[in-house]
Amino acid sequence: MKILVVGGGQVGHFLCERLSTEGHEVVLIDRSGDRLKDIEDRLNILGIHGNGASAEVLEQAGIKSVDIFIAVTDMDEINIMACLIAREYKIKTLVARVKSIEYSGESAVLSKEKLGIDLLINPDDAVADEIVKIACRTGSFDVAEFVEGQIQFIGYRIAPDSPLCDLTLKELGDLHGMYRFIVTAISRKGQTIIPRGDDTIQAGDSIFIFAHQQDLPAIQYLLRQEQSKQRRHPRAFILGGGSIGLRIADQLEKMGFEVRLVERDLQRCEALAAKLKRTIILQTEGTDIRTLIDEGVKEAEVFIAVTDNDETNILSSLLCKKYGAKRTLALINQPEFLQLAPDLGIDACISPRLAAAGAILKYVRRGEVISMAAVEGSDAEVIEFQVKKGSRGEGIQLKDLNFPSGAIIGAIVREGGYEIPSGESRLKSGDRVVVFALPKALPKVEGFFPR
Amino acid sequence: MNIFQTLRILGALLVHLSGALLIPIAFSLYFEDGAWLSFVYAAALTLTVGLVLFKGCRSKNTDLGIREGFAVVTLGWTFFALFGSLPYLFSGAIPFPVDALFETMSGFTTTGATILTSIETLPPSILFWRAMTHWLGGMGIIVLSLAILPMLGVGGMQMFKAEVPGPTADRLRPRIQDTAKLLWGVYVTLTAAETILLMFGGMSFFDAICHAFATLATGGFSTRDASIGAYNSAYIDWVVTFFMFAAGVNFSLHFYALRGRIRGYFRNEEFRFYLSITVGAVALLMFLNHGSVYTSFLDNLRYSAFQAASILTTTGFGTADYELWPVLGQYILVTLMFVGGCAGSTGGGMKVVRIMMLFKYAHVQVFRLIHPRAVRLVKLGGNPVDREVVQAILGFFALFMGIFLVASFLMAAVGMDLISAGASVIATLSNIGPGLGSVGPVDNYQHVPALGKCILTFCMLMGRLELFTVLVLFFPSFWRK
Repeated sequence: MKILVVGGGQVGHFLCERLSTEGHEVVLIDRSGDRLKDIEDRLNILGIHGNGASAEVLEQAGIKSVDIFIAVTDMDEINIMACLIAREYKIKTLVARVKSIEYSGESAVLSKEKLGIDLLINPDDAVADEIVKIACRTGSFDVAEFVEGQIQFIGYRIAPDSPLCDLTLKELGDLHGMYRFIVTAISRKGQTIIPRGDDTIQAGDSIFIFAHQQDLPAIQYLLRQEQSKQRRHPRAFILGGGSIGLRIADQLEKMGFEVRLVERDLQRCEALAAKLKRTIILQTEGTDIRTLIDEGVKEAEVFIAVTDNDETNILSSLLCKKYGAKRTLALINQPEFLQLAPDLGIDACISPRLAAAGAILKYVRRGEVISMAAVEGSDAEVIEFQVKKGSRGEGIQLKDLNFPSGAIIGAIVREGGYEIPSGESRLKSGDRVVVFALPKALPKVEGFFPR
Repeated sequence: MNIFQTLRILGALLVHLSGALLIPIAFSLYFEDGAWLSFVYAAALTLTVGLVLFKGCRSKNTDLGIREGFAVVTLGWTFFALFGSLPYLFSGAIPFPVDALFETMSGFTTTGATILTSIETLPPSILFWRAMTHWLGGMGIIVLSLAILPMLGVGGMQMFKAEVPGPTADRLRPRIQDTAKLLWGVYVTLTAAETILLMFGGMSFFDAICHAFATLATGGFSTRDASIGAYNSAYIDWVVTFFMFAAGVNFSLHFYALRGRIRGYFRNEEFRFYLSITVGAVALLMFLNHGSVYTSFLDNLRYSAFQAASILTTTGFGTADYELWPVLGQYILVTLMFVGGCAGSTGGGMKVVRIMMLFKYAHVQVFRLIHPRAVRLVKLGGNPVDREVVQAILGFFALFMGIFLVASFLMAAVGMDLISAGASVIATLSNIGPGLGSVGPVDNYQHVPALGKCILTFCMLMGRLELFTVLVLFFPSFWRK
């Protein structure tokens, strides 16, 4: 497929990286020659220097043969303008990134239908939604939902005192008994391993499991992630009252969390107080630990730092963790910092660019792919496929199936039920499978489940 | 202060009043009560003074500012009370000017406190005029509270503004004249509806329209000595209870409801609070009255609901002597006296929305003690209320209580007993009518010394015009250029 990306910022860069490693033909348009050269040097893409909202530049980039058009510059107006021009070339899929609410809110005057753009994505909303999902799953640092939420893909960190330490997967399999789950990947020191039965789980690992939603409480108990008994209204602290913080507070509030939102600007505090119902808004610095302790950060279920400043987010997360917050989530803009999370003891670092790019990737792959999530700390992805009639794997037991290496089937969903697969499971046409795959293996997996 | 222009407007208002004074003549001629000539004299005198003021006071400067607004409102009500008392004096129904002024002010401020001892012996046209002062006063209050006071920066409607978002929702039409006409339409519709329903209950047209006038204006003047109780009909009690409750609701909500937006009532936070106060008070009264005062549940409900609605909406009709109720029940009614109706209704008192905001403000204060760094706003209907508005409410509350204390002190000084002194002040300041003690539901104000009547007359005016509007005239700087 030929894909045209306008804007080589963080989201654009990440998209180019993912799409090009998957073997797509990617063209990037950017106004900054230096940045373009930088990306071109590192990635296998074609760079065009110029304004993405100019028809001339788009023609030069070969827009006539493009399948997917993605506009992700920092400027809403340019993104929408570029998509409007691209629409004239009858491109199949148009994606634009918009920040201001007027385009993307529920009461939007200009909807995507009116603009003729297939997907309008707001990175702030995307990241806020992701944080909320993680915050709601005790003990996890990464969550994705498949098959309308029935199958959950969850990442857990293994602490040194975890009962799972030094167990092989085989032993773990005997232990979990009736609760079926499958460990699809282990992330160790920045490397992602697709484990086999004799691999052991070590302290400091992150494990990714597939499980049915109903079994989660039992599994969390097994993994000893469920500490003591949970409060009826778990307490959440949010640092930073920007649009991300506001959206998170609003959603957590509705889910019954007892939310405290910390913001240092008084005027912004008042604006937040006007919009939020039950959240307690505290006007102070994120490092003002005395106030945070007075407000009960010790009993906090989760501390979420979402200011504009990465350093503030990291430091305040560490501080609150030290003072007893059970879990800390930090928003990290700079990709270099993302790998720090496990080493520092922050439970999850969420990047707006990953969240936005994840949502875009999920969208452009729709059709053969039903749902998709990008996995933090590794390049792996989790994708949902439909098994069509005449697929290669149809009717064969999984243990005999020559499935691409670097990929693993995490769950099979068929009419009326689901299965966390074992070696004896067979694929049938009409099944939906959730696959965990390293990027190298992705094209092979996509070939395995053709349209 | 543009005195000439102010007087000119007052003159125009008096010309309108002279027209209104002619209406009771029809009843006078129909009932042949012989009072028609006093109305003719009163109208002629009012018209003359009105025309003199209107034509005589011309000034090149036609600017009208906030100060002129205050003066027109306060003096307008005073002039109406003065000239409206003429028929009482000319017909000899009320021979003393202080008494006549008290009665008329009580009418135009929709209070319903009376100095008359035997109402049923008076000419029907005089009784009709009494009811009509209520109705005209109510009309004035609707346009005052929904249109004029917000312009002057006083009153409960600022809060209504905060509650209903959007540029035009608080005022139904951009022009005040159009807004007033719409709301008067609602007012007239409800009055007509009540008149018809009361006639179904066996009242004569005359009685029905007089009581409808007094109900919708939350006044309380009756054509019978025993008020609504004289009819001793459960049907009439319930009809009046319902319309008293309706008159205590913001009239713009009625307007929207007539346009088919019934749910607007329940979206309005003040209405929900008003409803819960009513229901809560009735339930408590029924609990207290059960067994000791009323044995039947339905009787208990009927009388408790009527007195609660009558006092809360500041109407002041009576079907039972609540002074015979348990003391705790009387205490509940006294509490309701301070609350009053909703903002934008014809009810008096401090207004439900102000009480609600006071509670909310107190809650925020306590909250801030527990969370010193927390930022929390006082909200109404989900929208934050301006700090100035909250301050104005606190100021209003302090002033209301202050005036209550000072006036009660003065009433005690003129020789009233402790309970009657306090009750007479709150009954007039909240524009209710009957109070407790010697001014209770089966008593009247005839025995109050003349000086006391003057004080109470002034209380009625202040309470009706939201205190500030009247008091501002007593600041020397108000009159300076």
